[in-house]
Amino acid sequence: MADIAVHEEDHAHTEHGGYDDHVVHATSTGLSNNKLAMWLFLGSECLLFGGLISTYMLYRGRHEGGPGPSQIFDIPLTSVSSFILLMSSLTMVLAVNSAKRKDDRNTNLWLVVTALLGALFVGGQVYEFTAFYQEGLGFTTSLFGSSFYTLTGFHGVHVTVGVIMLLALVGAITRNRVTGDKAEVVEMVGLYWHFVDVVWVIIFTLVYLIPS
Amino acid sequence: MAIIERPSAVPATVGAGGTTELVTPSRALGAYRRPVSTTGWKSWLFTVDHKKLGIMYGAVSLFFFLVGGIEALLIRLQLAAPDNTVLSAGLYNEMFTMHATTMVFLFVMPMAAAFANYFLPLQIGARDVAFPRINAVGFWLFLFGGIFLNTSWFLGGAADGGWFMYSPNSSALFSPSHGIDFWVMGLQITGIASLVGAINLIVTVLNMRAPGMKLMNMPVFTWMVLVVQFLLLFAMPVITVALFLLSFQRNFGATFFDVNQGADPLLWQHLFWIFGHPEVYIIILPAFGIISEVLPTFARKPLFGYKFVVFSGAAIGFVGWGVWAHHMFASGLGPVSVAVFSVATMLIAIPTGVKIVNWTLTLWGGKLWFSTAMLFSIGVIVLFTIGGVSGVTHAVAPSDTQQTDTYHIVAHFHYVIVGGAVMGLFAGFYFWWPKMFGQMLSERLGKWNFWLMFFGVNLTFGPMHILGMQGQPRRMVVWPEKLTGDGFFDLAFWNQVASVGSFVIAAGVLLFVINIFYTAKKKVAAPLDPWDARTLEWITSSPPKEHNFDRIPTVHSLDEFFHRKYEEVDTENGPKLVKVKTAEEVLAEEEANADHHIHLPSPSYWPIVLALGFPIIAYGVIFNLLLTIVGTALVLLAIFGWCLEPSVADDSDYDPPAGGDSTKELATLG
Amino acid sequence: MDRSEATVTTLGEMSSTRRRWPLAALAVSAGTFLASCASNAPQDYFDPAGPNAEKIDTLQRPVFYIAGVVALIVIGAVGYIVFKFKDRGQDIPEQSHGNPKLEIALTILPAIILAGIAVPTVVTVFDLNKQDDTECIINVTGQQWWWEYDYATGECGGVEISQPIVTSGELVIPADTPVLLRVTSRDVIHSYWIPRLNGKRDAVPGRLHTLRMQADEPGIYTGQCTEFCGLSHARMRQAAVALNQADFQTWVDNQLEPYTAPEAGTLAATGEQTFIANCSKCHQVNGIANADGTPVLSDPDLYVVSGVAPNITNLMTRTAIAGWTFDLINEECRDALWTASPDEFGAMYLAGVTPDCFDEAALRDWLRNPPGMKPMYVDPNNLDSTGGKYRGMPMLNLNENQIDELVAYLLERK
Repeated sequence: MADIAVHEEDHAHTEHGGYDDHVVHATSTGLSNNKLAMWLFLGSECLLFGGLISTYMLYRGRHEGGPGPSQIFDIPLTSVSSFILLMSSLTMVLAVNSAKRKDDRNTNLWLVVTALLGALFVGGQVYEFTAFYQEGLGFTTSLFGSSFYTLTGFHGVHVTVGVIMLLALVGAITRNRVTGDKAEVVEMVGLYWHFVDVVWVIIFTLVYLIPS
Repeated sequence: MAIIERPSAVPATVGAGGTTELVTPSRALGAYRRPVSTTGWKSWLFTVDHKKLGIMYGAVSLFFFLVGGIEALLIRLQLAAPDNTVLSAGLYNEMFTMHATTMVFLFVMPMAAAFANYFLPLQIGARDVAFPRINAVGFWLFLFGGIFLNTSWFLGGAADGGWFMYSPNSSALFSPSHGIDFWVMGLQITGIASLVGAINLIVTVLNMRAPGMKLMNMPVFTWMVLVVQFLLLFAMPVITVALFLLSFQRNFGATFFDVNQGADPLLWQHLFWIFGHPEVYIIILPAFGIISEVLPTFARKPLFGYKFVVFSGAAIGFVGWGVWAHHMFASGLGPVSVAVFSVATMLIAIPTGVKIVNWTLTLWGGKLWFSTAMLFSIGVIVLFTIGGVSGVTHAVAPSDTQQTDTYHIVAHFHYVIVGGAVMGLFAGFYFWWPKMFGQMLSERLGKWNFWLMFFGVNLTFGPMHILGMQGQPRRMVVWPEKLTGDGFFDLAFWNQVASVGSFVIAAGVLLFVINIFYTAKKKVAAPLDPWDARTLEWITSSPPKEHNFDRIPTVHSLDEFFHRKYEEVDTENGPKLVKVKTAEEVLAEEEANADHHIHLPSPSYWPIVLALGFPIIAYGVIFNLLLTIVGTALVLLAIFGWCLEPSVADDSDYDPPAGGDSTKELATLG
Repeated sequence: MDRSEATVTTLGEMSSTRRRWPLAALAVSAGTFLASCASNAPQDYFDPAGPNAEKIDTLQRPVFYIAGVVALIVIGAVGYIVFKFKDRGQDIPEQSHGNPKLEIALTILPAIILAGIAVPTVVTVFDLNKQDDTECIINVTGQQWWWEYDYATGECGGVEISQPIVTSGELVIPADTPVLLRVTSRDVIHSYWIPRLNGKRDAVPGRLHTLRMQADEPGIYTGQCTEFCGLSHARMRQAAVALNQADFQTWVDNQLEPYTAPEAGTLAATGEQTFIANCSKCHQVNGIANADGTPVLSDPDLYVVSGVAPNITNLMTRTAIAGWTFDLINEECRDALWTASPDEFGAMYLAGVTPDCFDEAALRDWLRNPPGMKPMYVDPNNLDSTGGKYRGMPMLNLNENQIDELVAYLLERK
C-alpha cells in the first residue's frame, strides 16, 4: 500500500487548501497529512517486520534435512550488498536535498542512482537465493528455509517496490507531472527508503552476523 | 432518503473572489475523464464522500450482521436438544467459524467504521477525511473481501478451523477443503481495508480539527475511535504476518506449522492473540465512545470525568497489548508467564471499571430522558458489567483452566460483545439516524427492539454461565444426554432456554430492520436537533450537506453545541441554565457566515477498480495463478490511474450550477 | 463545584446504607446457587473431587462472590439512579464535569480488590505446577479423536508396573495418590480435562506438558477434549477412574495378564481370525498370534494419519469405545457405576463389561459403519490430502456374520 500513501500526497495538500480558499489553515500538528500518514504506515510496518523477524529467530536453528545458516551464508558477499543498500540511503539524502533546492536535474540524478543501488541490492539477493537453492535450501526444505526466505523475501519486495517508486518519481518529475510540493514527495519516498534500509541493518545483524 | 448528490461546485455566492485563488492542479493525464455523476448508482460507486461511504459501510455491515445472525440461529437450533442432527459435524464447524468471523470482521468492526467514517469528521469539524480516495478503497476492500470470504460456502465449503484457526489443525492435512484459504485471503483483504482506514482516520483526527478543537475538547466517540485506529495500526500487521505464514504453508508448501519439521504450534497462537487481544478492544471501544455521547445527551449533563474516560480508554489501548497470553492459560506456557499475564489481565479491569463508574455517575443528578438510544446505552452499562466481572474470574489463571473453552467463556464474551459492542452500536443507530437520514426511527418500535434484545441477550447468554460451570465445552456439534445431569442445573433445559433466547434476539433485530423500512416509507422529517444534543455533528443540516459545514465552526469548549444553545442565567434561586438559542438559530448563524469557495475532493473510478483487483488475486492463488496475474494487472492499472489523477478536479470538470441559488440546491437534491 | 461535592456525599451515604442488606442476601443466594451445583452434571467444576481441583475451587469461589456482588451493586446503583433521576420536569442540571477525588478513589478501590485476588492467584499458579511430589507418571497422548494412556514401568502409587500398559479412553489411577500426566499429541492440539480433578492442559504436538491429577476417593470422573480438534471434536471424550490401592493392583495385574486365545471351535475363535483379517492392521491385541504361531503386529502408521489406533487387548475392561463416546454397558449399569459409593465402586468397575451389563447395540453399529456414528474424514475417494491415510476408523464392509464373530471375540478381551 506504500505507493498509495505516497501518491495520495500529491493531492492532499491541494485538497486541504482547496476546501476553503479564504482560510487556508495549517494542519493541527504542523506535519503535512502525507508525511504523518507515511510515518504511521512505517510504524505499522515495524510490527510486520517484527512478526517476521520473531518467526525467523524462533526457527533459524531448526533445519533438519537441509543446510543451516552457518553452512550457507556468504557473509562477505552479503556485507557488500548491505553496504550498497546503505550507500543508497546516502544518495537518497542527496536527492532530497536537491529537491529542496528545487534542482530537478540533480534530484533526478540522485534518484536514479538510488534506484540503481537498490536494484543492485535486489540483484544480489536474487543471486544469493539462487546460490542457496543450489546448495539445497529450498523454501519448503526446513523451518529455517521457510522463515529465511519469507523474511528476506518480504524485505526484497519492499526494496523492489521502493525502486519502482523511485523510477516512477523520476518519470513524473521529468514529465512535470508531480502535483503539490515536489520536495515533499521526494522526502516521502525517502522516508520509506530509509526505513527499508534500517530494517535491512536489523535483518543483516540478526540473521547473518549473530551466530545461531 | 435525502442525500446530497452533487459535488460542491463553485457556490453561487462566490462572486469575484473564488476563481482567483484556485489551487486545483492541472487536468488528469490520459483519456479518462473522471466521474462526475451526482445522482444515481454511479454517484455511490465512485464517491469519495465520507458520509456516503459511511452509509455504505453501515448497509453492508448490517447485511453481514443478518448473515452472521442466521448462522448463530442455526448453531442454537443444533444445540437445542441433545445429540441433535440439524447440522452435520462438518457444517457445524464451518458455521461457528464463519459466525465468529462474520460478526467480528464483517459486522462489528466495519459497523464501527461506518460510524467513525460518518461522524468523526463531523465531530471534529472537518469537511472530509484526510485521504478521501483511500477511504473509498477501504470500503470497497471490505465489501469485496467480505463477499469473497462468503463465496467459500458455494465453492467447496467454508473455513472449519474456528475463528482462532489454531495450527496445525488449519494445515491442509487436517482441513483439505479450500475454506481456510478463503478465510486467510478474505481476512488479508479486509485487513488492508482496516490498515489504510486506520492511517486515514488518525491523520484526520490529528491534522484536521476545527479551530479551537483541542485534543481534550474532542468528543469521546472521536477519542475512542482514535485509540482504536492506533490499535488497528499496530495489530493488523501482526495478523497479516500470521496469515501470510499460514497461506505460504497451505498454498506453497512452507513448513511453518509442520510439527514433523520441528515447528512450534504455539507460534500461531502468540501471533494470533497479539493481534486478537487488541482486537477485543477494537471491537468494544467504539461502542464505549457511542454511549459516552448518548448518556450525557439524555442525562442533560456532561460526561462525568471526561478526562478519566479518555485516559482510561487510552490506558486500555496500552495495557491491551500486554495481556494476549490470557487466551493461552491452558496452552502450557509455564507458571511464570501465566502468573505475569494473569496479573496484567487483572490490571486492565481497572480502566474498564473506571468507565462503568463514570457512566453511572454521569446519570447521577441528571434529567434522564429514556429514548431508545438511552435505553440501549443503559443496557450496555448493565450487560457489560456482567460480562466484565465474569472476565475478572477468567483473569484468575487457575480458575481459567477450568473455564476456558467452556460455555462460561461463551457467556462472558457474548455479554461483552453483544451486550456491550452490539447494543452500543444500536444506541448509535437510534441516536444518529435522524442526523444521517433526516428521519426519525420509530421510538415505539425502537423500545420494543431494545427490550427484546435486552431480554434476549440475558435469556441466551445468561444460561451459558450455568452450562459452562456444569462443564459443557464449546465448539461441540452435540452434547450427550448422559452428561446433562438433572435438577435446577439440567444442561438440556438451559440449552433450550438459550436457544429460545437467540430467537428473541433475532426478533429484536428483525424489528430494527422493519423499523428502517417503516421509517423510510413514512418519511417524517426529523427535527434539526431532536435530542437537544451536545456535539459538533449537530451544527449542520440533517442529513449534512456534502461539504458538512457551511462554515467550519470555531470550537470553544467540550460540548460546543450545547454551550451555544444554553447559557447560565442568574435567578433568585441561584444560577440556572436557560436555553438562549434554538438549534435552528445556531445553524442560521453559521449559514449566514458561510465560507465562500468550498472545493471538495472529486469522485474517482480508481478506488473501486483497485479494490476489485484483490479478490481476483485471491481467487487466483486458490484456483489458478493466471487469475492472479489478471488481478495484479488490475491493481497496477488502478494505481497508475490513481497517481495521475489529482484528487480535486478542475472546476471545468463540473457541470455549471443549474442556475438560481445553488447553495440551497446542494442540500436538497436527490 | 460546591454542588457537585454535595452530590458526592449523598451518593456516599446512599451506597453505605444500601450496601449492607443486599450484600448479605447476595452472599446467601450466591452461596446456595454455587453449592447446589454439587448434585448435578458430572462435569461440574464447582464440585472438586481432588486436591488440585479443590485448590482452584478455593481460589475461584471468593472471586465469583466478589464478582457477583460488584455486578449487583453496579446494576442496583444504575437501577436506583434511573428511577431517581428520571425526567420529572426538573431543571437542566448543572454542567459539572466530574469530581477527580471521587474518581481517584473509585479507581483505587478496584485496584485494591484486584490486588487481593492477584496474590493468591499467583501462589496457586505455582502450586499447581509442582511436579516433585507425584507418585506415578502416566503419558497421555491425544490424537483425532481419542486419548491413549501409556503407563511407564515402575512404581505407581505403591503398585509395581512391570511392563508398559497401553490403554485408551479411561485413565485408571490409584485413588488418593498424586499422579503426574505427561500430555502431548500426535496430530493437532487437544486439551485434557477432567473438571472435578483439575483444570485443563493442552496436548500440543511436539511439546510435553504436565498436569497433576489426583482423586480423593474411588469413582469415575468424566471429561472431554476441550481444544477444538477438527471434525469429531465433540466425540472425543474421556474419563478418569480412581481405584483404591488393592483394586488398582488387580487392575494392573489383569492388564498384564498374558493373552488367552478363544477356545477352538467357538464363535469367538472364528472371530479371532476375522479380527486378524480385518482389524489387526491397525488395532493391536497383545499376544495374539497367527495359526503358525507368528505374532500378529499392527502397523497403523501405514493407514492412519496419527499413526496409532487404540490398543484393544483389554477392551471389555473399559465401559465405552470410540473416544469414550459410545457405551459398552447399558444405561442402568452405567448409572449404577457412576453413582456407586466409593466402597462399592472398585468391585463394580473391575467386573468390567459383564454379560448382564453388555449393550451390544453400539458396538455392532460401530463395527457396521464407524463413520456413520462418528464423522471422521474416511471417504476412501477423498484421501489426497493425507496421502491415502485415514483419520479415523473407515467402514470395513463387514457382513452380519463377521460382526457376530467379532463381537464374540471382543467380549473375551477382558
